[in-house]
Amino acid sequence: MKDLLKMMAALLCFGAAAGLLLAYTNKVTAEPIARAQQTEKLAALSAVLHEFDNTPSSETNTVSHGGRNWCFYVARKDGKYAGAAFETSSDKGYAGEIVLMVGVQSDGTLNQVQVLSQNETPGLGSKIKESPFKDQFAGKGLAQTRWFVKKDGGDMDAITGATISSRAVAEALRKGIEAYSANTAAIAGTE
Amino acid sequence: MGFSKEFKKGLWDEIPVLRVILGLCPTLAVTTSVENGIGMGLAATFVLLCSNIAVSALRRFIPEKVRIPCYIIVAATFTTIIDLSMNAFAHEVHKNLGIFIPLIVVNCIILGRAEAFAGKNPVRLSIADALGMGIGFTMALVVLSLLREVIGNGTLTVWRDLGLVWSLPASYRPTLLLILAPGGFVTLGCILGLMNRIEAARAARAGTRYTAPAEFDCRHCAICKWGSGK
Repeated sequence: MKDLLKMMAALLCFGAAAGLLLAYTNKVTAEPIARAQQTEKLAALSAVLHEFDNTPSSETNTVSHGGRNWCFYVARKDGKYAGAAFETSSDKGYAGEIVLMVGVQSDGTLNQVQVLSQNETPGLGSKIKESPFKDQFAGKGLAQTRWFVKKDGGDMDAITGATISSRAVAEALRKGIEAYSANTAAIAGTE
Repeated sequence: MGFSKEFKKGLWDEIPVLRVILGLCPTLAVTTSVENGIGMGLAATFVLLCSNIAVSALRRFIPEKVRIPCYIIVAATFTTIIDLSMNAFAHEVHKNLGIFIPLIVVNCIILGRAEAFAGKNPVRLSIADALGMGIGFTMALVVLSLLREVIGNGTLTVWRDLGLVWSLPASYRPTLLLILAPGGFVTLGCILGLMNRIEAARAARAGTRYTAPAEFDCRHCAICKWGSGK
């Protein structure tokens, strides 16, 4: 009985100390983490949008498409609609969700794609955020391109050894572009 | 036993991945680029150091029967601390290592050292042990990832943010197998074989007979009472 109480007391103390320590760490790091994520988002926005003189992060249009709400960051140049950026994601990745930031231009082409978060295998699937793969989308026509990997009869090159990750990116792009194409006028504010 | 002796044993005689064969899961998973290997090695070293200090300092208060849960709580706490801190202050590296940072908690090196060493020895020696084992682990990861990245991918990435990235000429066709999962096992096996070869040669020069770790049954590992001549 005494033994049992001792064990319980020890575990209780360890658990309580660990809990306190973690609560404190969480409090200290919560703000820097939020800030790092915000900075990352802004950096991704300016990386995927071509030319703009407004602040897209504060000019947003939300539309509903395919059972999901899409938030579009609108870029304007000299007061005219220049393009939009949006976040899209797929849960078909090899290791959880893949979140992308996609920038499109007012002439109906894709400008740039950035990967916001992914947990794909380092060195294989994680190549979706690196150059040869993510640069293949620049300048492609939204309507003219089939947004599938080549194995599935589309126009996108897949990464060798990471077909699942490449397919997930294709799916995310496809859904996002559908939402954009169906609501372009509403997003641009020219209705 | 002195500080330097405890420190040095982790670098060759009991180097975690290559001699004691512990911590293989993160080893095989992240060694696809040297940068990941270094990041993983340093993060694990930090957790190992903190957990060894805590376990060693508290060893008289930890009841024998519940020591494993206590060690796990300690390891999990420090792992979460480094996970949150890296996310806040080294966001890029954290993003690269992804899921493998939280998984340090199940790295058997951490629990193994707590059980085999820190739970029985004073804080000073536990620090030496943690540093030696941590650096040994990092070294093993770097060697493995160096071979796999250079041969398997034709690149060498030491630290991307500092521009320490090199690649072989485009005419080199990478042996993709090495960067894929089986390549991890193949490379590790070759290194283990090489280690045994070196040890056998050393033993021959010293005039003794070398027995490979596998032939010891489990006795080459120091965790339980049958281990390492205890």
